[in-house]
Amino acid sequence: MTTPILEIRDLHVRVEDREILKGVNLVLPAGEVHAIMGRNGSGKSTLSYVLAGKEDYEVTEGEILLNGQNVLEMEPDERAVAGLFLAFQYPVEVPGVATMTFLKAAINAQRKARGESEISTPDFMRAVKEAGAQLAIDSDMLKRPLNVGFSGGEKKRAEILQMALLKPTLCVLDETDSGLDIDALQIVSKGVNALRSPERSMLVITHYQRLLNHIVPDVVHVFSDGRIVESGDKDLALQLEARGYADYEKDVA
Amino acid sequence: MQPTMPVRLSAAETTLVEQLKAAGADAQAERITVAGLPSRRVESYHYTDLRTLLKAVPPLAAPANEASAPALRVPGAFQLMIANGIVQDNSTAPAGVIVGKSEGPALTLRDDMLVHINTALARESLNLNLDGKIDPIIQIDRRTEGEAAHSASSARIYLADDSEATIIETYSGSQAAHLSNHASYIALGKNARLTHITVDLSARPATHFATNEYNLGEGAQLRSLVIHAGANLSRAHVFARFAGQGSHADFTGLNLVSDGQHCDITMDINHAVPNTGSKELYKQIARGRSTAVFQGRIVVSRDAQKTDGKMMMQGLMLSDEAQILSKPELEIYADDVVCGHGSTCGQIDEEMLFYLMSRGVTKADAEVMLVRGFLEELIDPIEHDELREALASVIDQWLVGGLH
Repeated sequence: MTTPILEIRDLHVRVEDREILKGVNLVLPAGEVHAIMGRNGSGKSTLSYVLAGKEDYEVTEGEILLNGQNVLEMEPDERAVAGLFLAFQYPVEVPGVATMTFLKAAINAQRKARGESEISTPDFMRAVKEAGAQLAIDSDMLKRPLNVGFSGGEKKRAEILQMALLKPTLCVLDETDSGLDIDALQIVSKGVNALRSPERSMLVITHYQRLLNHIVPDVVHVFSDGRIVESGDKDLALQLEARGYADYEKDVA
Repeated sequence: MQPTMPVRLSAAETTLVEQLKAAGADAQAERITVAGLPSRRVESYHYTDLRTLLKAVPPLAAPANEASAPALRVPGAFQLMIANGIVQDNSTAPAGVIVGKSEGPALTLRDDMLVHINTALARESLNLNLDGKIDPIIQIDRRTEGEAAHSASSARIYLADDSEATIIETYSGSQAAHLSNHASYIALGKNARLTHITVDLSARPATHFATNEYNLGEGAQLRSLVIHAGANLSRAHVFARFAGQGSHADFTGLNLVSDGQHCDITMDINHAVPNTGSKELYKQIARGRSTAVFQGRIVVSRDAQKTDGKMMMQGLMLSDEAQILSKPELEIYADDVVCGHGSTCGQIDEEMLFYLMSRGVTKADAEVMLVRGFLEELIDPIEHDELREALASVIDQWLVGGLH
């Protein structure tokens, strides 16, 4: 059996004195797209931050394996180099850092860490132009400081642009549909779908089923009270939309 | 009530008194004899107590025999040099620039000890008369060379009506414990436009004092940028008077402070006539055990209705032992004005750092990127590419030392 891109084993996570994740188990094979659905506060975003290596989260038990490699001891930048990408729910505004400058720095940081040479400026410009065109991102937007003054839709498109340029093996999309109107949702979904490939896996975290009409998952996991309580195919998302998360809540109580 | 007992003078003060007497500045010598150098009890020196910070005053500077390498090269700039207080011969001046020199100092006398010392000790002033749109950047390269010396230099700059210029003044010299006291008096004529940048790049053992005095005529536009990136002890005092209606100035500055350093930018400006505006943005970054000081005072005179002033200080602390001090003040005598001030201080933003690192950028590189980003606002408005690059190199040089 081939190594899955992502394997989460019995993951328990605390923030201060509160246990947020209470034993998450997940296997995400190469090429598959899995959705995680759950109500607000169920721990979905915590999972995405823990995957990316944010501080302030204490992993008390369990493992996260990326291509068979335990990432828990790795810094966020090392995880990125290992192939992980988190598309943020709320991309951070970074004043004074031009988007273009940042994109090039990120690409080169990853190349350097992998022992590759820096990307040439023409190659970089070409890559940005190609990926940008697909996401309706113009050069004016790229000249602005990173995410500063971007609309909700622009921020999400910029996240997918970064994803396209950095070519991760694992894409974690945290509520990528939040704050998007229908047109922007289509552009973003199209951008994401273009990146689907047999070598790449995606974990799509969402509150609503509508995103999954555009990015159709292979597996849907239902998240409740810090763990996965049910898994199924894409129809599970439709059932959830119809009946809500209340049934799972009762189990907990 | 006058103190009955004179203060006990420090070694530095004793030397200074002798030097002032020798220069014929008996009144100033007497002042120091009675009250000493400005201490924390003098409001404008509250955070920069010269009685304790100024440990020694070296002998008065003799003319310089040799010059060290220029501290900062600005490609294409017209260069002028003042070495150990003496105005040096220059190459042919570009169109619209008349260079000269005159006896004596340039500053307006006021109740400030460093102004008095400069006035007493500066033997001559560089005179710069600018008329029209001056094409090249003008660089005034001020040096203190040779053995440790106490030097005073002075420049007087006039921009004729409707003229336009960019001037950068750099302060540097040999690796010695110099005490340098520099003065610039700058008058902007009607609708004149000036970008004036001063950068301290003195050697670490040095002490650097500078006074910039601006007088703005009707419709004049000024951008002022003060950078401290050199001496262990530095202080720049920015004075400005908005004397003509419709004038506007952006006052900006940056203290880049490392372990063992104390840098102070003090600004004191007066909106004296109606319909003038100023925007102040000062930033301070401190690492190691160090102190950065900003004091800003905006005085709006009784007649200066419709004044628009907005002052901001932003500090970035890179170590627990660093100290960033800020004292913004507004003194408003007119009743129809819009004035505000703010002051913030913090560390590198953890959320931004995580975001950049999550894309594969190492922590060290991400921090440098964020510091550059923090300073971008000061450099970005400067029009000449060469100048922006030269200033970015000053910042990069500071960053080479590591952030913490």
